[in-house]
Amino acid sequence: MSPVPGSSRMEQFAQAVAERVVNVVMDAIDIDALLQRIDVDALVARVDVDSVVSRVDVDKLIDRVDVEKIIERVDVEKIIQRVDIDGLMERTELGSIIARSTSGVASEVLDVVRAQGVGLDDFFGRLVNRVLRRHAEDLPLGPPTLVGPPQVRAELTAGAG
Amino acid sequence: MAPASTVAPIEGRQGHYAGAVSRLVAFGADVGASWGLFTLGAAALAFSVQLVSGHNFSLSSHQIVSLVALVVWEFVYFAYQWASGGKTIGMALLGIRVVRTDGSPIGPRQAVVRTLTLPLSFLLLGLGFIGILTNRDRHALHDRLAGTAVVYSWDARAARLRWLAKKEIPTSA
Repeated sequence: MSPVPGSSRMEQFAQAVAERVVNVVMDAIDIDALLQRIDVDALVARVDVDSVVSRVDVDKLIDRVDVEKIIERVDVEKIIQRVDIDGLMERTELGSIIARSTSGVASEVLDVVRAQGVGLDDFFGRLVNRVLRRHAEDLPLGPPTLVGPPQVRAELTAGAG
Repeated sequence: MAPASTVAPIEGRQGHYAGAVSRLVAFGADVGASWGLFTLGAAALAFSVQLVSGHNFSLSSHQIVSLVALVVWEFVYFAYQWASGGKTIGMALLGIRVVRTDGSPIGPRQAVVRTLTLPLSFLLLGLGFIGILTNRDRHALHDRLAGTAVVYSWDARAARLRWLAKKEIPTSA
């Protein structure tokens, strides 16, 4: 109980008036206009990011991330195409590891025979194209499900299945 | 003998229509393989008959039987291999395979039709094979009749990696 008689009632009245005044003032303020006048960059510059980050529980944050879902959305084919395999082979021990595990005299001979075969195929192909006066770019490379764009291949394969 | 100049430009040919030289060499290898296997089989048969009956037997002395057996054997050799994996021994060596015109794997029906119509390409004085050079999709007559195509199936990319790896060994070892 308040030592001054009637002070409690005065406090309640003052609080009610204050609430009313705040509401009226808030209604009168144009928040958008106010925000436009605030220099957000300056505000952000004053934030100590290190301090904020140090207060974040990163482990807890990572636990909430659905990695599988993220991987599903990544176009792995596109990433692999951007990898410089030749450069990778030159910079790492990968080359010698692959060579030791897969290279044999027989496979090397096969590679050479096949490569020579394809080279001769190309030679005669070019010769015939010249005789028939047609451009190699106008000719189909192969069956659509094998050499078409990935999307077309997928559609054709799904349609065939 | 460095495969560099030959392997590098053909990278990524998997699924492309195979050319005449690869197909011709593969066919030559198949003729050799099938004849070799037939000769081995005939020799094994003669040896078995001699072992069981004690009489000398030679398939070549029975010309009609020998011819029929050879025709049946050639049919089985090609049709079975095309139906089961889309490639014969010769094709596997040259890294090519038979597929349907849309690129899907060949079925037993196409394999049988292709085997039966293959001699037609020869019987027309070899004109059935001209299409491999002149047709836009490199179809021979028997391909056209069976609804098939021949494509490269070997992984030139892996070959290039092997070559690069081999080049890398002296510096890393």
